[in-house]
Amino acid sequence: MFDRDIWQEIFHSIKSNKLRTFLTGFSVGWGIFILVMLLASVNGMQNGFYSQFNDDATNSIFIRTGVTSKAYAGFEKERKIQLKNNDVAYIKKSFKKDYEYISARMYRNTSASYKGETGSYQVQAVHPDHQIIEKTIITAGRFINSNDILSGSKVAVIGRKVAEDLFKENSPIGEFVIFNKLPFKVIGIFTDEGDDNAERKIYAPITTYQKIYSNTDNIDGIVLTYNPTYNLTKALEFSTRLENILKRRHKISPEDQSGIRIWNYAEAFSDISSFTSVLSWIGIAVGILILIAGIVGIGNIMVFIIKERTKEIGIRKALGAVPSQIMKLVLLESVFITTLSGFIGLFFATSILALVGPAIQSPAFTNPSVSFTIVLTATIILIVAGLLAGLIPAMKAANIKPIVALRDDK
Amino acid sequence: MIEIKDLHKSYKMGSNSLHVLKGINFSVKEGELVAIMGSSGSGKSTLLNILGMLDELDKGSYELDNVPIKNLNETKAAQYRNKFLGFVFQSFNLINYKSAMENVALPLYYQKVGRKERQEKALKYLEQVGLKQWASHLPSELSGGQKQRVAIARALAAEPKVLLADEPTGALDSKTSYEVMDLIQKINDAGNTILIVTHEPDIATMCKRIVHLKDGVIIEDKNVEQVRAEKYV
Ligand SMILES: Nc1ncnc2c1ncn2[C@@H]1O[C@H](COP(=O)(O)OP(=O)(O)OP(=O)(O)O)[C@@H](O)[C@H]1O
Ligand SMILES: [Mg+2]
Repeated sequence: MFDRDIWQEIFHSIKSNKLRTFLTGFSVGWGIFILVMLLASVNGMQNGFYSQFNDDATNSIFIRTGVTSKAYAGFEKERKIQLKNNDVAYIKKSFKKDYEYISARMYRNTSASYKGETGSYQVQAVHPDHQIIEKTIITAGRFINSNDILSGSKVAVIGRKVAEDLFKENSPIGEFVIFNKLPFKVIGIFTDEGDDNAERKIYAPITTYQKIYSNTDNIDGIVLTYNPTYNLTKALEFSTRLENILKRRHKISPEDQSGIRIWNYAEAFSDISSFTSVLSWIGIAVGILILIAGIVGIGNIMVFIIKERTKEIGIRKALGAVPSQIMKLVLLESVFITTLSGFIGLFFATSILALVGPAIQSPAFTNPSVSFTIVLTATIILIVAGLLAGLIPAMKAANIKPIVALRDDK
Repeated sequence: MIEIKDLHKSYKMGSNSLHVLKGINFSVKEGELVAIMGSSGSGKSTLLNILGMLDELDKGSYELDNVPIKNLNETKAAQYRNKFLGFVFQSFNLINYKSAMENVALPLYYQKVGRKERQEKALKYLEQVGLKQWASHLPSELSGGQKQRVAIARALAAEPKVLLADEPTGALDSKTSYEVMDLIQKINDAGNTILIVTHEPDIATMCKRIVHLKDGVIIEDKNVEQVRAEKYV
C-alpha cells in the first residue's frame, strides 16, 4: 500500500493519461457533490423546521378552551368552558413533577398612546414564567416579575415594533403609555426572532388585567412546559393525563374534543422529525444511486483502459509481474482516482455551502451544512466505490495472457 | 541449460486442432548462441514462447537449468520468467510512457530490488548497450535500433540464464540489424546463453549454431563458423 514504487507507477499512469483520469474522476466527484448537496439541503430544511419551532420552548403545552360539543353530566352541549386562576393553581399542585414553568394568559386588544402617537395592539397578560416558555428576549429593561403580579402594578413590556411606533428614537423605559385611558409604565422592550407581528404585542401582569376587568379570576388560556427530562412518550402521556383531569374538572365528556384543547409541541415535533428523517433517507438513496452510476462509469472506463493497456500489462507479466501485483496496481489506481475526485467534489460542495449557506435567508431553509459524519461516510463510500469500480477491470487485467497481449498483430 | 524432449504443441481452432510442434528434441548448453530458422508458420515463435513459459506445452518435457518446467500457475510462471529469462521482441515492446532507464529497471522492480540499486544497474546496462546518455529519453524519442538496444538492456538487467529473442532484427534495416547483432555477440562472448528466432540467413550465420524447423520438426541442427557482425558496422 505504501510502496513508493507503486505510487510512482500510479502517478505516472495518471499523468500520462490526463483526459481519461479527468473523465473517470469527474463522474465520481459529481456523484459525491450531489450527494453532499442533497444531504445538506435536507439538513437545511431540518434546521429550518426546528428554528421555526424553537421560537417557543420545544417542550411547551398550550391549553385553550371552547364550547362543548356533547351533553354530559347533566349539562347541555354548547356550554362555554371558562378557565380560572384556580385551574393554574390546581395544575401546579397536581402535576408538581410534570411541569417546569407555567403561566396563565389573558388576551385583550388595546389602544395605546404616547404624546400624540397612537396605535392598536394586543396585550397578553401573563405570569413571569411566560418569558421562558415563549423564549421572549428582553433587549432593554426587564420582564414582568413576581412583585408586579403581587401588587398588580400597571407596568408593560412592549414589543420592538410598538416601541418604534410610539417612541420613535426615544427610550421608552420609565415612560408612561396610555392603554385604554389607563397609564402603564414601560419597564421593558422585547424582540422576537419569529416574526415582526410578534413584536407588535404587549405583555402585562395578569393580576393587573384581571383587576382592570372587574376583578375577574377568569383566564383565556394556560401555557406550560413539561419536565425537560421527559422523552416523547412521557410528554405525550403527560398531556393526555392533563387533558383527562381537566375534562373531569370541568365536567366535559371524555370524548368531547372541543371543550378543552391541549396542544403539545412534542407531538408536532415528532411528526416533523420523522418527516425530515424520511427526507434525509431519500437524499441518501438518491445520492447513492447517482454514485452507483459514477461507479459503473468508472468501472467502464477502467475496463477500457485495461484494454488499451493490454500490451503493457503483457510486457509487465513477461518481465515477471505476478497477477496479484497487476491487480493491486489497477485497484489502487481506481481507489486513488475515486477518492481524490470524490474529495474534490466534497470540497466544492462544502465550499459552496459555506459561501451560499449563510446567505440563504428563508425561514424554511436555514444553515444547510454537512456534518463530520457525512464527510466520513462519504469517504468510506468512495473507497469502497473505488474498490468496486476497480475490481472487475483488475481481475480482467490479472487474467491477461502475456502471449496474447504480445502478439505482434495487435 | 535447456533440455527438451519430445515436445508437442497444438492449437485448438473451434473443432479442428492445429498440430504445430510435432516432437521436438533439443538441448542448449550454457554459453551457446543459437539461431532458430524456418519458414513462416513453421512454429518458431511457438517454440520460443514455450521456452519462455509464455505458453504451455501439451506433451513432452522441458527442463531449464535442471528445473522441470511443468504445471506452473501464473504466479509461479511469472517468477520463473523473472528469474531465468530475458525477452527481446521484434516490436521492442517498451513501455511508451517510461524513460529508457525506467524500462530497463522494470524487471528489477519485479525482483524487488531497491530503488537506488535498480537505477544504478539500469544505467550500467544502458551503458553496456551504448545508450547511457539516452537514459532519460522516452522510447518515442529513440530510433528503432536504439529501442531494440534498450530492450536488450532490459532483458539483460534481470541477469537471466537465457536470453530469448524473437526476430530482434525483424523491424530494423540491415545496418542497424548488424549493430544489434554485434551487441548480441558481445553479450554472448561474456558467457550468456542466447536463442534467436530469425528469417534472415545472414543474421543466422552470426550465431554459433543454426536449428532449422519445418512443419513442426527439426530438420537440421548444425554448428556454424560465426560471422562477426563487427565487420559490417
Ligand atoms: N494462439 C494461437 N492460436 C491458434 N493458432 C496459432 C496460435 N499461435 C500460433 N498459431 C499457429 O501456429 C502456427 C505456427 O505459428 P508460429 O507463430 O509459431 O509461426 P512462426 O514460425 O513464428 O512464423 P513467423 O515466421 O510468421 O513468425 C501458425 O500456423 C499459426 O497460425
Ligand atoms: Mg514468429
